[in-house]
Amino acid sequence: MGDRSIEVLAHGLGGSNDLPIPYTYALIGAAWALTFTFAVVALAWKEPRFDADKPARPLPSWTTTVVDAPATRWTVAVAGLLFAGWVVVAAVWGPQDGDNALPGVFYVLLWVGLVAVSLAIGPVWRLVSPVRTVCRLLRSSRRPPPLAYPRVFGYRPAAIGLFAFVWLELASPDPGSLAAVKIWILVYFVVTLAGALLCGPRWNAGADPFEVYGMVASRLSPLRRNPDGRIAIGNPFDHLTSLPVRAGTLTVLAVLLGSTAFDSFSAMPQWRGFVDDVAGDSSAVAVLMRSVGLLLFASVVAATFWLAARAAGGVDARRRRLLPGLMAHSLIPIVIGYVFAHYLTYLVERGQQAVFRLADPFGTGWLGDLTPYYLLSTHPTLLATLKVGFVLGGHIAGVVAAHDRALRLLPKRHQVTGQLAMMLVMVGYTFTGLYLLFGG
Amino acid sequence: MIALNASRTLVALTATALLVAGCGGSTGSGDAASTSPGGPATTGAPQLSDQQAPPEQLVIDVTIKAGEVTPTNEQLKSKVGDPIVVRINSDAADQLHVHSNPEHTFDVAPRSGQSFQFTVTVPGKVDVELHELNRTIATIAVQ
Repeated sequence: MGDRSIEVLAHGLGGSNDLPIPYTYALIGAAWALTFTFAVVALAWKEPRFDADKPARPLPSWTTTVVDAPATRWTVAVAGLLFAGWVVVAAVWGPQDGDNALPGVFYVLLWVGLVAVSLAIGPVWRLVSPVRTVCRLLRSSRRPPPLAYPRVFGYRPAAIGLFAFVWLELASPDPGSLAAVKIWILVYFVVTLAGALLCGPRWNAGADPFEVYGMVASRLSPLRRNPDGRIAIGNPFDHLTSLPVRAGTLTVLAVLLGSTAFDSFSAMPQWRGFVDDVAGDSSAVAVLMRSVGLLLFASVVAATFWLAARAAGGVDARRRRLLPGLMAHSLIPIVIGYVFAHYLTYLVERGQQAVFRLADPFGTGWLGDLTPYYLLSTHPTLLATLKVGFVLGGHIAGVVAAHDRALRLLPKRHQVTGQLAMMLVMVGYTFTGLYLLFGG
Repeated sequence: MIALNASRTLVALTATALLVAGCGGSTGSGDAASTSPGGPATTGAPQLSDQQAPPEQLVIDVTIKAGEVTPTNEQLKSKVGDPIVVRINSDAADQLHVHSNPEHTFDVAPRSGQSFQFTVTVPGKVDVELHELNRTIATIAVQ
């Protein structure tokens, strides 16, 4: 393996990307998205149905007992800490080239795996978060924290952290650079630990980008807790409405959706050519252009959603100000559908590679010639179908959630017209998404 | 589809032209397409066999001169298992990265008439990139 490059590209991982989806798939997806949207606005229920307070069907009580047992929680927390330690050892003492396990763990297992796990079983990051575990092990955490977490912060620090992550992956000079990833993680760890020591666990809940991302994804999970604390299974649409509305909620979602879209966009040859032409040999200019592009994508998502949510008649100024936050949960399915459409192959195929590299952190080669099983890449039809399915499913769920919330928030006379702008914006997101998946 | 066919024809024409013209400049015996001087021969790509219909071969002609690469950001198509040949005339040493699964890396020497061949075994969009100059030569959709 002596000829392996030190450098890897494309999300810091190298390897190929997904083929574009066929034109017919994009068309069919777009047609269904439009049809469903108007069917929902015109024909669906006229009374709000989804309610976060509606109790779900509780699972047998032993599940709650087991999950909440201190032994379970400590086991999971310590396992998380040990896993983090393993990754650090692999990162520092493993091969300092493309064979290192760190980028795969960071960009695939953490970034995409976290969404999949949170969606399946709930917000697990607060259990496995190494920072939380370290804090709990420190004696000082038993005293009340010296500062209160400022309310005005809301989720804004997490939005900044998430932007820092996607910036490293999509705009920085070299996303595959081990040094860059190590510095990012170090800064994340120091900031999160300092915040948690100063403001207590509230800091983790509001400012840890991974915890907030996981929390957002978990709101689409069928599993949740009833008001009495029991673990229950129920309609994800009821669960969605429980997304906390704080400062920065919409920003978090806009960063997630905008960055995923920018990821596809930046692979288009027109954009690459444009960056090459303008930047020439200057890497700094190229980084600046990509940063502006990334920021622009997130801003467009935030601005269009914000305007569409406010474009409703029959509400007073105070209410209107609250509307974007109150509608924000309907972006969650769109974000998750889009994330899976883009990163499913990464999770399934690069995920295997990341696990292999973790199992052989020092690159001794004891695993032999183990190669990932390219389950999705070798079945392009299945992959394209899944991608369109995720985008379409996310769109439909988003539209349904927005419709239901509009019924609750808007006065009767304005319910249909008040939704129109939001529905058009969502159709716009989905068309753009399909267009980008189709490859422009 | 017309545009795609046209570009494929163009590639084929270019390929033929190169193979004809390339013999003079090549240092080898003329079997330039299967040798990769200066670089590790990481691929066991099938040789062209004259018994059966030869697999369609994609040839990319690249010039590196005074820090400028032509072409850049080309959009090409190929099939799984078909040989892909990158012919390079360069005035500087560089490294050619093929971001396929698994990846291929070739060392580019500062001279003319080098050619590197590989095949892609897993479908996907494969970036062919020059590492030192940090330019993407082409993205090949391998189906």
